Amino acid sequence: MSLSERPRPEPDRDSAPWWEAVRRHELIVQRCDGCAALRFPARSVCNRCRSRNWTWVPASGTGRVYSWIITHQVFLKGLADEVPFLVLLVRLDDGDDLLMYGGLVGAGADVLRPGLPVEAVFTDVPGEDGTTLVQWKPRDLVS
Amino acid sequence: MSGFRDRTAIAGVGYTPFSANSGVSTLSLAVDAVLAALDDAGLTVDDVDALATHRVGDSTPPWVVAPALGVPEVTWYLDQFGGGSVSHAVLGQAAMAVASGVARTVVCYRAINARSEFRMGGTGRGPAPVFDAQYQAPYGHLAPPQQFAMAARAHMNAYGTTAEQLGAIAVTQRGNAVKNPRARKRDPITLDDYLASRWIAEPLRLLDCCLETDGACAVVITSADRAHDLRHDPVLISGAAWGGGDTFLSGAGSGPAGTDLTVTEAARLAPRLYAAAGVGPDDIDVAELYDCFTYSVLVQLEDYGFCAKGEGGPFAASGAIGPGGTLPVNTHGGFLSEGYVHGINHVAEAVAQLRGTAGDRQVAGACVALSTAQPGYVLAGTSALILRSDR
Ligand SMILES: [Zn+2]
Repeated sequence: MSLSERPRPEPDRDSAPWWEAVRRHELIVQRCDGCAALRFPARSVCNRCRSRNWTWVPASGTGRVYSWIITHQVFLKGLADEVPFLVLLVRLDDGDDLLMYGGLVGAGADVLRPGLPVEAVFTDVPGEDGTTLVQWKPRDLVS
Repeated sequence: MSGFRDRTAIAGVGYTPFSANSGVSTLSLAVDAVLAALDDAGLTVDDVDALATHRVGDSTPPWVVAPALGVPEVTWYLDQFGGGSVSHAVLGQAAMAVASGVARTVVCYRAINARSEFRMGGTGRGPAPVFDAQYQAPYGHLAPPQQFAMAARAHMNAYGTTAEQLGAIAVTQRGNAVKNPRARKRDPITLDDYLASRWIAEPLRLLDCCLETDGACAVVITSADRAHDLRHDPVLISGAAWGGGDTFLSGAGSGPAGTDLTVTEAARLAPRLYAAAGVGPDDIDVAELYDCFTYSVLVQLEDYGFCAKGEGGPFAASGAIGPGGTLPVNTHGGFLSEGYVHGINHVAEAVAQLRGTAGDRQVAGACVALSTAQPGYVLAGTSALILRSDR
């Protein structure tokens, strides 16, 4: 299964809690203790109030499709039997400047349109110890 | 804020051949290009006191090239980390070094085996660390065509930009390359050829993508006064600007452009650049716009003020960017058809246009040129120059 041939997540010291939450099938974002702004990706300082303190809080898990691509070229040998594959860029409902990448599950590219409501689901990568990825499913298909 | 306007000049340009496999080291490429640029300027290695480049772990730095060439004494050098987005920052900083008196003769170079050794995005050797990568690479999303495709789709979603409009850029630039003996692709293409080319990362096709190229290019920067005594009419560096700060994801929370893929750092830089040179978009006679992909040209037409936001597609398809248009763009064929040497070959072409030596592709009466770097996707920031003939 070529999913296991993908580049592994490489957390840094700020993002490690986010990746650990994803392993638990939880979607979280940072909330600034200074100004309450929600923040993603993980960083150790708020670029609005410059507070160095934050709290991890659950995200709603829903968002809307901002952009997407379909990759046909084999850029990595490990993905040769997956092309063509979709990658979405999703704007979270929790905030206009919170965006996350991910694949599309439960539907094909034909359903895609700007603003399509989606919901986060979690994919445990087969054969990989503790690697889980966030994916997105059209919201009316989520059961 | 005129800064060092017109106080420095480009006095020489040099190339190696462009190919898919140079068969030589990046050191060798760098040396050949530097020597060619010096020869073009009528200077020798003994005149050089500074070298400048940029790289992402894929090339040979000044502190190797200088001793390899036997440069007598290096008084200033720049070995900037970064890809295309800093390509023109290197030249701007070199001009600043000359204007300040720190250096007298700087040779700027970029030497890469971008096809046979290091392929951008880490699909050849290991990727350069980029803040956003950990959230993208696990999905197989890591190569520049994918990243620019995501932006192109966002532009299509927001403004109705079409494949035919991107194709107009590819077709126009190939037409220019037909007239450029140095270009790697010189067979004309049609819009149908473009539309029939295979998908790389939808919405980008093969003919939206630049040519990964082995090669080098260099330019000599010295004072305007001294350049007048050298072989060619000087091309003055009228304005230089660089800067930035956001990658796409790291821009989250920093303002409206932070997570809008349809606006680049060039939109913030352009007013500084024009002010530095004392000109505006209407004064630009020829524009060499960073074209890793067709889309990057389209968005820069907007962000450098040649048309309104969202109008880049119709502007590109109107004929305005072709020979005889109001703004001839990428007159050498650009990275799409001449070859991708990461930015500096745009500067070299601008110099040829301003010297009036561009042959069949000469823009009549070209006096002011804009040359730009990657507008700020993937790695933060961008950079650009405005050059002026002094004939
Ligand atoms: Zn804050």
